[in-house]
Amino acid sequence: MTLREFLSDRLDRLLIQGICAAAAALFLWATGTQPGVLVILFLALLPVFVGAQLTGFFRQRTRLQELESILEGLDQKYLFAECLPPSNALYERQLWELTRRAGQAMASAVSDARSAQGEYREYVERWVHEVKTPITAARLICRELDGETRRKLAGELARIEEHVERALFYARAESPERDCVLRRTNLGEIVSRAVDAHRSLLIQSGVRVETDGLDCEVCTDEKWAVFLLGQLLQNAARYRGEEPVIQISARPLGRQIQLTVTDNGMGIPAHELPRVFDRGFTGRNGRSRGGSTGMGLYLCKKLSGFLELGLTITSQEGEGTAVTLTFPAKENLTKL
Amino acid sequence: MPDIMIVEDDPAIREELGLLLVNEGYQVTAVTHFADVSGQVQRAAPDLVLLDLGLPGRDGLALCADIRRTSRTPIIFVTSRDSASDELYALSLGGDDYITKPYNIPVLLARIKAVLRRTGGPAEPDTLEAGGLTLHLARGTASAEGGTAELTRNELKILACLMSHAGQIVSRADLIDALWDSQIYIDDNTLSVNMTRLRTKLEGIGLPGFIKTRRGMGYQL
Repeated sequence: MTLREFLSDRLDRLLIQGICAAAAALFLWATGTQPGVLVILFLALLPVFVGAQLTGFFRQRTRLQELESILEGLDQKYLFAECLPPSNALYERQLWELTRRAGQAMASAVSDARSAQGEYREYVERWVHEVKTPITAARLICRELDGETRRKLAGELARIEEHVERALFYARAESPERDCVLRRTNLGEIVSRAVDAHRSLLIQSGVRVETDGLDCEVCTDEKWAVFLLGQLLQNAARYRGEEPVIQISARPLGRQIQLTVTDNGMGIPAHELPRVFDRGFTGRNGRSRGGSTGMGLYLCKKLSGFLELGLTITSQEGEGTAVTLTFPAKENLTKL
Repeated sequence: MPDIMIVEDDPAIREELGLLLVNEGYQVTAVTHFADVSGQVQRAAPDLVLLDLGLPGRDGLALCADIRRTSRTPIIFVTSRDSASDELYALSLGGDDYITKPYNIPVLLARIKAVLRRTGGPAEPDTLEAGGLTLHLARGTASAEGGTAELTRNELKILACLMSHAGQIVSRADLIDALWDSQIYIDDNTLSVNMTRLRTKLEGIGLPGFIKTRRGMGYQL
């Protein structure tokens, strides 16, 4: 708030005061008061008037600054009204009361929504764990079937698992701090877990998997990193070309480590590339093949944000795609 | 033969897992009443316990603590709960390994073997025999009437996989699955190369045509 804003806000009051003063001067002059006396009176009253305005201005400004800093310091800004120091001014007190009531309504709506979301998340997690039991049983039963049927069924079961896993991590991504554990982990271990988790898809797709330079340590959550890498492997196997090869290689970049998953698949058209991390985005490849949900890379982006991983993608249509994960140097992890 | 006890409340999994392990040559005891599981473990004295976490009554973690109080039987947790804290807790209670459902069957079997080996359970069979060929797993050799051939790791695995399914058709994908290791991923071409070398070696010890190709389906002994 500037002095100019303050004065223009009070323009009507100032005008009335000016008109009153002029009328009083006119009246005094008409009833025979000496003009010299009027000038003295004016000079005596002006500082009082100006002083009063300035005091009002500075008091309001200090109060506003105080409120501003309280708001700044709050994590949950909607609890502002609860944290205000009470005011002496009647009008402000009334406003405060109104704001407080509005804030309370908001706070209870927020906490209801939170607990509903928490319950839903819990339900999804429990459901995922429960559905894994029949999937496991189905896998075991599958063994007794003969060649072709078994392979097809195993493939479909693997797809169910992929969807179930995504649902689980989608639910978890809502409150990552609950089960994200950052630890020093061997990158090779993460990669071999991810490859193992998708071995049937990779083997059925006839993909050759090559690894290079993975014997190094990163500080991350192993499960989340395995899931993230798994999404990349799924994409590489899904959108494969002739004689598919997936290269998984790591190299240090200063204190960071860059893990790159390169495939020689169908690639992504340049104009679709900026949108592949958008929620629900299925490009031309996804639409032409079917079965794409547009959730995989979206989740990757979201999870990589929590893990403070850099996630970038480059692609040449018809040549292949390379996705790079940059693991941060250990000292720089702050968020979780 | 190692004796494995399955503590799992889902009847379908209990039954199928039992069948799988029996086929793999283990003796299997399945727990069907979940009262006093630790007592049952003590009485049966198995070489390994596969323990589910979510059980009626006492859950797997409490059971693990119970069992550890009286016995040092190796325990592998097999569960659908996959949070890091569950896993840490389970291992800190004295579990030997922790496998999450749904598991890869080859991975499950490999980890069972690994735990049994680590904890010094009864030794697994060291030789496989089929159609006049004897495979010595530990030595990595195959011998027949015509002599003995030394095998590479991959050749050994291929032959072991075919011989343990003697008479059945084993698809290329299944062979690749058996050959996949945690760090080395075999592809189709490598399999073909290994297969050719293996056949040459078998021919050298007097078994030409031991491995038959079933076009479009796979291989058969």
